[in-house]
Amino acid sequence: MKNYIKVIFIIAIINFIELSISNALSKAYIIFPLTFLFYSYYVYKSDENINPIEAFLFGLFVDLISNSYFGLSAILFCLMTYLINIYSNSFKLFSNLQICIFFGLSAASYVGFTQLIVNLYNFSYLTLLVSAVFNIFFCIFIALISMYSGNLINIRK
Amino acid sequence: MTRISPPPGQKIIYLFLIFLGGFILYVDINTNNFQIIKNGFNSFQISTHFFIKSFSIDPIMDFKNHFQFKNKLIKENKELHTALEKSYVEKYLISQDSKFFKDKKFLEEELDQNNLNKPFYMAQLKNLDPNIFNCCDKHRIHIQLLTKSNESLIEGVVFNSSGVIGHIIHEMNYKEVMLLTDVSHSLPIKNVSEDFYCNARGSGMSDYIICNYNPLISIKEMEIGQNFLTSGFGGIYPKDIKIGILEDIKVIDSNNIELNIKLSSNPLDSILFGVINF
Repeated sequence: MKNYIKVIFIIAIINFIELSISNALSKAYIIFPLTFLFYSYYVYKSDENINPIEAFLFGLFVDLISNSYFGLSAILFCLMTYLINIYSNSFKLFSNLQICIFFGLSAASYVGFTQLIVNLYNFSYLTLLVSAVFNIFFCIFIALISMYSGNLINIRK
Repeated sequence: MTRISPPPGQKIIYLFLIFLGGFILYVDINTNNFQIIKNGFNSFQISTHFFIKSFSIDPIMDFKNHFQFKNKLIKENKELHTALEKSYVEKYLISQDSKFFKDKKFLEEELDQNNLNKPFYMAQLKNLDPNIFNCCDKHRIHIQLLTKSNESLIEGVVFNSSGVIGHIIHEMNYKEVMLLTDVSHSLPIKNVSEDFYCNARGSGMSDYIICNYNPLISIKEMEIGQNFLTSGFGGIYPKDIKIGILEDIKVIDSNNIELNIKLSSNPLDSILFGVINF
């Protein structure tokens, strides 16, 4: 329970940071789903499989605090949790670069799907492409930091 | 520790939750059933923000101001600033461009003719996320009336010193305003010569609304820089209020021409708004 509260608290702070920087990044055609990436990292780093109901509730919470449509993040968080749980052992065979590309492309898919729902009239492939590249480089950057300075945040159960 | 792949039972739960999420998403997009939860959370968020600010940042700032013997001056400055913004809003209301009321005589005639026996209310901005102008189709702000109102202000027109910015769609503690740029907003407009009418929808971008028409039906030639006014057909906005100028004409296909109209009003111009219900 203490761990859940900790994760919810971190998600709320990260979501606040995401909303604060999104205005500046959007001028460079970048959408940076920091909350989604953090959640993916949390599931990836977890020693046990994350419960689907937990994923769904985290998604609903993110929908509430980010003022988006209910169910949007809930679906995507569920899907991401399912994918990571399925490939949790296969990830050990992958290189860090492959894992970074996986998370970067997942973030780009998240951006694409959310843009289709919340910003259909101004959907931009340029934004999607630039965001995908940015997110992949961000994941590589985080992986490099983790490699050379250990885990940034200990969120393991 | 080795993680096992989700068993079939858990896969079914995933599938069920994804369908449930899809259903909730569909309901939220097409209805306003979750609006109470969202508005409640927004109210809580705004109140908490002000509460925390009033107990953390404000005392420090007050102490600093007191220490520097400037608090009185700052207070006066704030009052003057508020009064100035209020006067801008009132100026707009009685300006020549506006057809709300032109002068006292006109006002009395309008009151007699249209039963406009209702006052207008001043309101203050409570919540505006500037990110909406860069990311989203849904452009909403929250305002709070400075004076108490017993009547329902749903569909009340909201304006600031630069012009009309939208209308109220929900009211709880705070009033939710749908801006003209919201993609689900539709505004009946006309040109100055009154030979072209259309329903302009929000573009999802700041400052622009879009009007689509079929050139085979309406043969009116459009010119860049042309002024557009409200037609008054929707029943929400009064007639002949200046909305904006035509900035771009896009020919989508032989049956569809898109007019990009740049709005003359901007919700970011001031934190004080006028609300009037016709």
